[in-house]
Amino acid sequence: MSALPAITEPFALEDRPAGADVQAEVERFYYREARLLDAERYQDWLDHCVDRDIHYWMPDMDTRRRDDPRGTYAHGEAAYFDDSYAELSTRVKRFAQPSAWADNPATRHLHLISNVEAYETGRSGLVAAFCAWMNVRNRNETDQDVLHGRREDVLRRSDSGLKLVRRRVFTVQNVLLTKNLNTFL
Amino acid sequence: MMERICDLAAVPDGEILRVELSGYRPLAATLLDGRVYVFPDTCPHAAESLSKGWVEDGRVVCGVHFAEFGLADDEVVNRPVGCPDLVKFPVELKDGAVYADLSKAEAA
Amino acid sequence: MCKPDMAPVYPQASSYPHLADLIRSERAQVDRRIFWDEEVYKAEQQQIFARAWLFVAHESQIPDPGDFIRTTMGEDDVIVVRQRDRSVQAFLNACPHRGNRVCMVDAGKKARGFICNYHGWSFGIDGALRGTDGKVYDTDAHFEKAQINLTPVAQIESYRGWIFATFDPDAPPLTEFFGPFTFYLDAFLDNDEGGTEFIGGATRNLVDCNWKFPAENFVGDILHAFWTHQAGAAAILGGGVDLGPHYAERAFQASVFGHGIETNLDKVGNTRTLGYPELVQYVFDRYPAMVERLGETRARMVGAIGSCTIFPNLSFLPGQNTVRVWHPRGPHQIELVSWTVVNRAMPEHIKELYRKGVMMTFSPGGVFEMDDGENWEYATRTNRGFVTRHQPLHYALGLGTEAPEKGLPGHVCRGSLNDANQRQFYRRWSEFMRHDNWGDLQAAETAPPQHQEAAE
Repeated sequence: MSALPAITEPFALEDRPAGADVQAEVERFYYREARLLDAERYQDWLDHCVDRDIHYWMPDMDTRRRDDPRGTYAHGEAAYFDDSYAELSTRVKRFAQPSAWADNPATRHLHLISNVEAYETGRSGLVAAFCAWMNVRNRNETDQDVLHGRREDVLRRSDSGLKLVRRRVFTVQNVLLTKNLNTFL
Repeated sequence: MMERICDLAAVPDGEILRVELSGYRPLAATLLDGRVYVFPDTCPHAAESLSKGWVEDGRVVCGVHFAEFGLADDEVVNRPVGCPDLVKFPVELKDGAVYADLSKAEAA
Repeated sequence: MCKPDMAPVYPQASSYPHLADLIRSERAQVDRRIFWDEEVYKAEQQQIFARAWLFVAHESQIPDPGDFIRTTMGEDDVIVVRQRDRSVQAFLNACPHRGNRVCMVDAGKKARGFICNYHGWSFGIDGALRGTDGKVYDTDAHFEKAQINLTPVAQIESYRGWIFATFDPDAPPLTEFFGPFTFYLDAFLDNDEGGTEFIGGATRNLVDCNWKFPAENFVGDILHAFWTHQAGAAAILGGGVDLGPHYAERAFQASVFGHGIETNLDKVGNTRTLGYPELVQYVFDRYPAMVERLGETRARMVGAIGSCTIFPNLSFLPGQNTVRVWHPRGPHQIELVSWTVVNRAMPEHIKELYRKGVMMTFSPGGVFEMDDGENWEYATRTNRGFVTRHQPLHYALGLGTEAPEKGLPGHVCRGSLNDANQRQFYRRWSEFMRHDNWGDLQAAETAPPQHQEAAE
């Protein structure tokens, strides 16, 4: 099995798009993942979609000048997610509690995935994928929060199909227009 | 014609000296990598004083809009639209003093 | 001959006794209009945010000359800039020409100055107008460049690396604004050599609530942790929040000038909720050195279950190391900006665990914070109802638990499960509405009791 890329390294060999079969497989992975998350099937998501070696990162997106040396995001600084499997499991544990009041009544979720591209990584067993996402969460009467962004992922082949082993989530929002992030993006 | 600008010893290394000579608009002098440069103190962009700026990476930086004028070469970095090049006067050193050819300098 | 006066203006406070009276101390009640009305909000901007000392930055965020952050004081956009002489200045982020922002970004390093994108007016890092674009102002007979600068804040001071600013030239020094509350602050700001620093970046989000709900929550509401945070505690701790068997003799609330802290004095209760046992061990191991430095009570506070608000809208959790400002954005919304604070002296791997722990618990996806937002949003929103707005609210927990204690400055009450700090917070709010001068403000009821001896 190949060594995994670090969370800040480029994932894809951009001059080597994956073949049509792999592209289709990646799209199916994303749509299924979105459906599980929409249905709040978080344990299923962990079990079927997430590799044990996962590193899942969503940095804070600062507004910075183009020539700023630090740039709009930096690993090791503030982040919304910077999780290993253990941290993702802790979050799922909260969702599983009947006392997760901000989730009862349930939020109505929608994860829309688009702009999917699959690439080779140059590492065996690993596929790189890009996509764009839109997340809608609607609660109670009129509470609706919509977030958008992109993902840069690495999926690893396992006996039960592709699983997520690296994820970078970049939202287009600087100040999140939402009171919480009660989902996975 | 060659005018006496100042004592060589008065020219700061890496800093900008403002020099007022009667009959001319203010001038500036600096020492960089062993060479003396003499140029107008007035930034060609918007009439601010270059001696209130500084020297960085071999360029005179105007402290207002941060245009950077090369000294050893004529490269201009971060040039505001319409800003002309910085005129640099030919320089001679003689008897511990700095002389410059001010035939192209603006009269006061 | 017409001549512009470009001097900065620092609006004066007024007096609004009818708004001050919305706090009924004798009944431990607040009128709900304070959470809903536009009139109240406008008065808050004038009476509180235009003159209180407000947190603007941590020194560690702007180490080098030219380093800057953009933030807000109330709703005033402000740039905080490290000067060449190493002092810090702060200015309104608005060009004196037509008012456009001169800084569009959250932060930057080693800026040479700020240039307005509209007409190219250029300001040095000291706020002085260096020049304009083109030569037209140079030939303008009446243009006085030296009179035109970015408006500086009236005063700016740093307390143990935490930088505060005020728009009021008459505000007393920062340490007087804190009063002896500094005794409690020092437990968090000075429990190790080198003091504190912020980890880079910030999490930011909007919450549709009145700023006072989260501020009063952090000033003294540990009670909510039992119910609101059951799910977060179960996820991290495997059980509920527990104040432990020594609650009755140890836990207390203390308030000075509306600033408040509640603590369980259990050494590591809050640190434990970050979910990394190594952090708990670290705090335990530091305990003897902290006793040496701060005394036993304050050493116990450092990682303990507890929370704190500095009036008006800066809050933090000791032990859990999250610092946040609840920026008012109208009466029904806040912009929450939040950082992780660590001691400079902590080893890198410990700082990293604090960073991750804060992310896991007190950020928008944090397992604790996730359940707070909706409470505050609906506490605000139900006031939309005309009849609802007239109903009383109960702020009477712990009446009669005042228990002055030698060595503990301020208004001290036994038991952190109490509304005492909340009552003091609103009392201070009322004082800011009523008094138009600092003499009266600093002599008001929320001032530390007269008879107190100096804290140990």
